[in-house]
Amino acid sequence: MKIISLVGLVVLSSAVGCSKPNPRVETRLNEDARLMGELTPNPMQGKVITSWVDKRDSTMSTLYGNDAAVNYARRNAEMKYPAGSVVSLVTWNQQEDGRWFGGKIPATPKSVEVVSVGTGYSYQRFEGSPLKRVENTEGAAPNERAAYLLSQRAAVLP
Amino acid sequence: MALASRAFLWTGAVVCLGFAVIQLIRPELKNPPVTAEIQAPEEVRQILRTSCYSCHSNETKLPWFDQIEPAYWLVTKDVKKARRHLNFSEFGKLPAAQQKGLLFEAVNQIQMGAMPLPRYLKVHPEAKVTQDQVAVLRNYLVPPSTASAAPAAAADTTAGDAQYGKWIKQSEGPLEVQKSPNGIAFLPDYKNWKTISSTDRFDGGTLREIMGNDVAVKAIADNHINPWPDGTVFAKVAWFEQPDGQGVMRTGAFYQVEYMIRDSKKYASTKGWGWARWRGTDLKPYGKDAKFTNECVSCHEPVAKNDYVYTMPIGGQQ
Ligand code: HEC
Ligand code: HEC
Repeated sequence: MKIISLVGLVVLSSAVGCSKPNPRVETRLNEDARLMGELTPNPMQGKVITSWVDKRDSTMSTLYGNDAAVNYARRNAEMKYPAGSVVSLVTWNQQEDGRWFGGKIPATPKSVEVVSVGTGYSYQRFEGSPLKRVENTEGAAPNERAAYLLSQRAAVLP
Repeated sequence: MALASRAFLWTGAVVCLGFAVIQLIRPELKNPPVTAEIQAPEEVRQILRTSCYSCHSNETKLPWFDQIEPAYWLVTKDVKKARRHLNFSEFGKLPAAQQKGLLFEAVNQIQMGAMPLPRYLKVHPEAKVTQDQVAVLRNYLVPPSTASAAPAAAADTTAGDAQYGKWIKQSEGPLEVQKSPNGIAFLPDYKNWKTISSTDRFDGGTLREIMGNDVAVKAIADNHINPWPDGTVFAKVAWFEQPDGQGVMRTGAFYQVEYMIRDSKKYASTKGWGWARWRGTDLKPYGKDAKFTNECVSCHEPVAKNDYVYTMPIGGQQ
């Protein structure tokens, strides 16, 4: 009887005992994915227009806009942004989500591209860690890459 | 002295009697027939049989020390609950997509140390899933060869295009959205919140943006993210991925938006978060009744120590 009660006690105490923490659950920010460098403002201060994933180079991109750009893109299918619009594409290298096998999340920034619409169009590209401007083009018409970014329709957000 | 030892004897007698009596309280634990056992390679089934079947199947075999109360009572409760969530003996009856989802969830629960239940592992160390066994399960779900496979064929964009066409025109008139069955009202402003991360969920073929309201964004800036302050709200938006045939997956049709709303008092019974989800562009509330939140909480359980939040936020929104 005594042995049995002992077993019972062991089972009961282990039932209420605690387990050691799993490193995957440790609370932290995704510091490596943060946009650092010659970039003002941080595009993540804007609102989302759409996003995509490129399986060929394992990157994921989110297209952000300032208020002028977002208000336009969510109401107009023609994609002719008005002056004052700023559209930015952030492209991250991907990593497996340590907390969810079956998902990928941003690892490190690969590039940031910023298109500003005024009387003309400017296109800036930032790369590296910390991010440095590697391209700055201005013109009466958007360059090919800027035109591509400006042609992306907004994701449906009911 | 005599009094003390008599008291000791009495206590001993009462404990033993109590122990004997609770042996008589036996909830019933039957093994119903195995009707649709999981179909998977033998090495995968072997792992599940060793580590999961005692709770997640109709083939529960309890060792003698689990047959003794109060262990028996605890185990019975676990087995009944476990079978309701996931039963490998009736697994084949589920739609294929749900089977796949549950298997991904199973790997995640193992990797995060949530399954087998830690309290069970203490008494059944042989049920622990080893690193090698985890690799077997992962390779079964995502064969290593698929990583370099040809790009997915271009998707039929008709549904996504039609949805976009409707949405872009009617964005003036707000929808009349029903409350979630647990009484939570829809928060239409989520689309103007800042993004805190994004996910490419190749397990279910969706792309997601995770947004946070101002309270969430400030908590990130201050790095006060466990626990998250009252007033924090997260919205997670999911779209079906739409392959272009060249390796790019775009956001296709809108799938759902779901929320976690922090109010440690009001939502104390659901881990301090109000859970709610709306599906489709008509924003139909998810869940038959208020109990749908069990589903949310049990899948977020492996990150309980991270305040039930999966996302690792990226800072810089302020
Ligand atoms: C001691 C009993 C026990 C064992 C052994 C066990 N589980 Fe569980 N499992 C449970 C219980 C109880 C729940 C319900 C938890 C809840 O409601 O929070 C559960 C829930 C789950 C869920 C969540 C299902 C859902 O509907 O969200 C998954 C997945 C899971 N277990 C996988 C596994 C796998 C894989 C193994 C083996 C490696 C395993 N479990 C071993 C008791 C067990
Ligand atoms: C099958 C497991 C599963 C279930 C069930 C589930 N979630 Fe989640 N949830 C996740 C994962 C994994 C993430 C991380 C983001 C991602 O991968 O998309 C997440 C993230 C979230 C987020 C963003 C904040 C965070 O924790 O990262 C919200 C909000 C959320 N879920 C709400 C809900 C609601 C509401 C329900 C129930 C209606 C629910 N979830 C059910 C797995 C689940």
